[in-house]
Amino acid sequence: MDKRPIKIICFAGLRKYFGSEATVLVEPGANYSKVIDELKIINPEAAEILSSCRIAVNEDFISLDEPLKPENILFLIPPSSGG
Amino acid sequence: MLFSGEVRDNNKGREVTHLDYEAYEPMANKMIDEIVDEAISQFRLNQAVCVHRLGQVEISGCAVVVITGAGHRKEAYDANRYIINRVKNEVPIWKHEFFADGTSEWGQNCDCITNVDEHEHDHQHEKVK
Repeated sequence: MDKRPIKIICFAGLRKYFGSEATVLVEPGANYSKVIDELKIINPEAAEILSSCRIAVNEDFISLDEPLKPENILFLIPPSSGG
Repeated sequence: MLFSGEVRDNNKGREVTHLDYEAYEPMANKMIDEIVDEAISQFRLNQAVCVHRLGQVEISGCAVVVITGAGHRKEAYDANRYIINRVKNEVPIWKHEFFADGTSEWGQNCDCITNVDEHEHDHQHEKVK
């Protein structure tokens, strides 16, 4: 099956590496961790921060070992630093 | 009980001029509402509010406020700490620190959420599931 594009919205310190959004191509049925792996290939310098990011879909955090949902957009959440 | 989190003029020995906060707003608002509701229920509060600033905040400016009201002070203090700790550690809000030397850095709180190993803290919080 063809790979499909997933759009990733980036925040805060992530923008230094990817701008405000990035797109990766992943196989249908892949896990969300595959998205992180693809981003590490695009910019290996971001590997450390990517390892501590969470992914949100529809304003809920999802587990990286879940298979991709039908949504083609996700939000990559670096470690919080509010307060 | 009112907690006001205010901007310090230094961080790890470096002089800070101001902060700029960014959030994934719809999710941050939703999560703060959920955390406040959980605190009201868990600590049997009469009321609770948490508001976090976004954008530029000057030194000594208030970045975050948590208000908790209860019939007994222990519940109000405990709930207030519970709310601020969870908001700092879980909610998608980020601090951009600007330093006197003209440089800037995105702040890093503890990465307890993804770091499963034991590690040093300068704060306390509930272990995230």
